[in-house]
Amino acid sequence: MSRDPYSERVRALFSSPLHAGSMSTPYRVLVDDQGIRIELSATLDGDVIQRLRFRAWGCPHVVAAAEWICTQLEGESAARLQDFAITELMQSLAVPVEKSGRILVVEDAVRALGAAIKESSTIAGQAEQD
Amino acid sequence: MTNAAADLVYLDYAATTPVDPRVLETMLRLQGVQGDFGNPSAMHRAGWRSHAHVELAAERLGALLGTSADRLVWTSGATESNNLAIIGAARHRRHRGRHLVTMLTEHKAVTDVFRALQREGFEVSWLRPGPNGVLDLGTLQAAMRADTQLVSIMHVNNETGVWQDIAKIGECCHARGALLHVDAAQSVGKLPLALAELSVDLMSMTAHKLYGPKGIGALYVAKRPDLHLEPLLFGGGQQQRLRPGTLPVPLIAGFGHAAAIAADCMLSDLAQLRTLRDRLWAGISDLPGIRLNGDLAMSYPGLLNVSVADVEGESLLLALEPLCVATGSACNAQNQEPSYVLRALGLSDAAAQGAIRFSIGRPTTRDEIDFAIRQYRHAVQVLRTMSPDVAA
Repeated sequence: MSRDPYSERVRALFSSPLHAGSMSTPYRVLVDDQGIRIELSATLDGDVIQRLRFRAWGCPHVVAAAEWICTQLEGESAARLQDFAITELMQSLAVPVEKSGRILVVEDAVRALGAAIKESSTIAGQAEQD
Repeated sequence: MTNAAADLVYLDYAATTPVDPRVLETMLRLQGVQGDFGNPSAMHRAGWRSHAHVELAAERLGALLGTSADRLVWTSGATESNNLAIIGAARHRRHRGRHLVTMLTEHKAVTDVFRALQREGFEVSWLRPGPNGVLDLGTLQAAMRADTQLVSIMHVNNETGVWQDIAKIGECCHARGALLHVDAAQSVGKLPLALAELSVDLMSMTAHKLYGPKGIGALYVAKRPDLHLEPLLFGGGQQQRLRPGTLPVPLIAGFGHAAAIAADCMLSDLAQLRTLRDRLWAGISDLPGIRLNGDLAMSYPGLLNVSVADVEGESLLLALEPLCVATGSACNAQNQEPSYVLRALGLSDAAAQGAIRFSIGRPTTRDEIDFAIRQYRHAVQVLRTMSPDVAA
């Protein structure tokens, strides 16, 4: 690489990953793809994401993306997770287009968490009906 | 000479070095209208004055290498020297045979040249070193054939610092009638060399690794009746038509001066580098899962390559800022290709990915090494905490 590949935003998020960590919660997923590993864990207050944490093995853009996502989605409805798309994230962090494959792995992790929460809610709902 | 950039801690001297101020002064004196700027091939006083600087530089470099000045060909750097030596020798001897030998752990400036020759119809045997990076002589002997024309083995590996026994390798090559080329980009001016006593036929070198300028290198060509090179460039009669083009006198003079300084400083440099390298290793060697890539007993002391498990290389590099070090990955945004050198030593992709090369130089201080120790320990701890594999 011949020039600084990291935007100021990426540097800030990478150096202060306030949401790095893991929680003991039923809402936890691990995605392992393209040499990237992302774990997301969430706690909910009803349908609202109360806390969102990540652990990551990947390049600085992946770590910054995971931190950005946690910041953006805490306090939001869990339903947002399932249709999460990386478009805004790519622009906000100025991620090089060549790295979009890695960021899509992060997107997969967010959607997988959304699916896990939905499945868990569905099972819980069915149990109540039964 | 002090470390110039106050906001950086530079430990990447294997990549390049700053120009020694004394060398810079020599070069600047030759640049302007008041200097000896003449074309060294010209037949007038300005040209002769310029030519004297080229002669002095060749004598200085020859003295450093333990050979005579007339055995040196000026090039643009080690990459060009490698191309000229390997392609030039292989093509000139192709009527005798088309088998060539080199190592998997050579620099790209060598491996890519051999791949180009493979496309021309040459057959290449790629030798794998032992897990410590050292080539076993038996491996080389087993690869040699009656039609082997050229062997190319680097002296000091640019990633691990491991050095090869080029004296014994040269004897092995000559016993089988093959030429030996040595890429010495990482060792010239850093380790003692006495070419007159070695069975080395061709040796590539560059100035910018020994506090000289970028853009100038040299190729040593031994005096042997059966050693000839086909030129790669055409266009003039300079340097016996082997490498035509107007000689860049300020760069050559700078290279010569850097060589003279290296000859004076080499032993004290080596002692200082060994002290600092050992201090660095002692400061990080207790980290769980750390691995030394190479062999301290057979390494140039200015280089230390380590890897740790569960840490991603590119993130480690950024977390180490303001340290300037090299990573074991190609740092390619499209794929995280791990170092082929470390892979050849048996490291897994993940271990090679997290490898860091610290390279120490003449200006490095003890404080910088202590800072590097603290920074490395902190970065590894932070990234490990963040890794799903460790904290699960």
